[in-house]
Amino acid sequence: MDAAHERALVERCRQDDEGAFQELVDGYKNQVFAMIARTVQDRSRVEDLAQDVFLRVHRGLPYFRGEARLSTWIFRIVANVCTQARTRRPAPISLDDERSAPITPSGADPQFADIELRDRLEKAIARLPDQQRLLIAAHYLQGVQYEDLADGLGLPLGTVKTHLYRAKRQLRRLLETELK
Amino acid sequence: MFCDEVLEALEPIAAGDLMPDARTAAHLASCADCRAALDRAREIERMLQVRTAPAPPAQFTSRTLARIRRDRWRSDQVLDAGFNIAVASLVFAAIAGVWLVMNRSGIVTFSNDAVALIEMFIGTFVARVAPELPLYAAAMALLAATVGVWWWAERDVTNW
Repeated sequence: MDAAHERALVERCRQDDEGAFQELVDGYKNQVFAMIARTVQDRSRVEDLAQDVFLRVHRGLPYFRGEARLSTWIFRIVANVCTQARTRRPAPISLDDERSAPITPSGADPQFADIELRDRLEKAIARLPDQQRLLIAAHYLQGVQYEDLADGLGLPLGTVKTHLYRAKRQLRRLLETELK
Repeated sequence: MFCDEVLEALEPIAAGDLMPDARTAAHLASCADCRAALDRAREIERMLQVRTAPAPPAQFTSRTLARIRRDRWRSDQVLDAGFNIAVASLVFAAIAGVWLVMNRSGIVTFSNDAVALIEMFIGTFVARVAPELPLYAAAMALLAATVGVWWWAERDVTNW
């Protein structure tokens, strides 16, 4: 959604145009839902938290000054909602979680190795601190650049990059440790 | 200790944000451990790029809009209740103020006549209404039931 379209949409929402707010929800629900699902460990709460985000957007629209882009403002709300949701975090997950079905990697079949690596990567991501998990979740969504993350979190650009590199370094170390 | 420096730079290199300088490139060519670590960093970068994004359920938008409508209705109710309480308080304060002024100014006779008039009105009203009391009670009960059903229908049903 380009900046001009966003401004027009915000203006229509402020005039209580429910069709406009439905358009806003439809335009951002995929990104919001994906970010929350990848950040919050309790999957049963993802839909409720995503609805909370749009509820806060609706309440805050009369006060939205338009200094930042709508997408950046929504991302900031997602970050706040995820931060407040962390008080109900479930038990930490081990990379060798016995609850999951054991996957035997086969050197001859790259697909099995890929699936196992993906599974271990998800478990490693679950062990990251909340902000690093949110950064990973947001940065690898289509179209979210370092600058968008910096604006959304109110952090300098260099700090965002450092946090992301640190998160990926931690992932690499977790995976290396478990593979030894 | 150069391995430590190279290992710190692997993530920016894997992300394409940093080009390794000549010294780093030469080290990566000669150090198998650092080269393997760079391969793992690139593999992680690739996996993150293709990571599937969970999609919202089909009814997400309609449920969200319904929840927003209920939230607006509740906040309107709170505003209405607050307004009614404020108006009732003002009316009560006005009546009490007038009564106080009348008593202090010594217009006792006038206030006694006013009290007698109100008592006569109430007595006449009660005498006329008392025979029809069951009818009025049934009407109030029906109104209360209607309001109760309406409140039950509009209550928060988020977890359906």
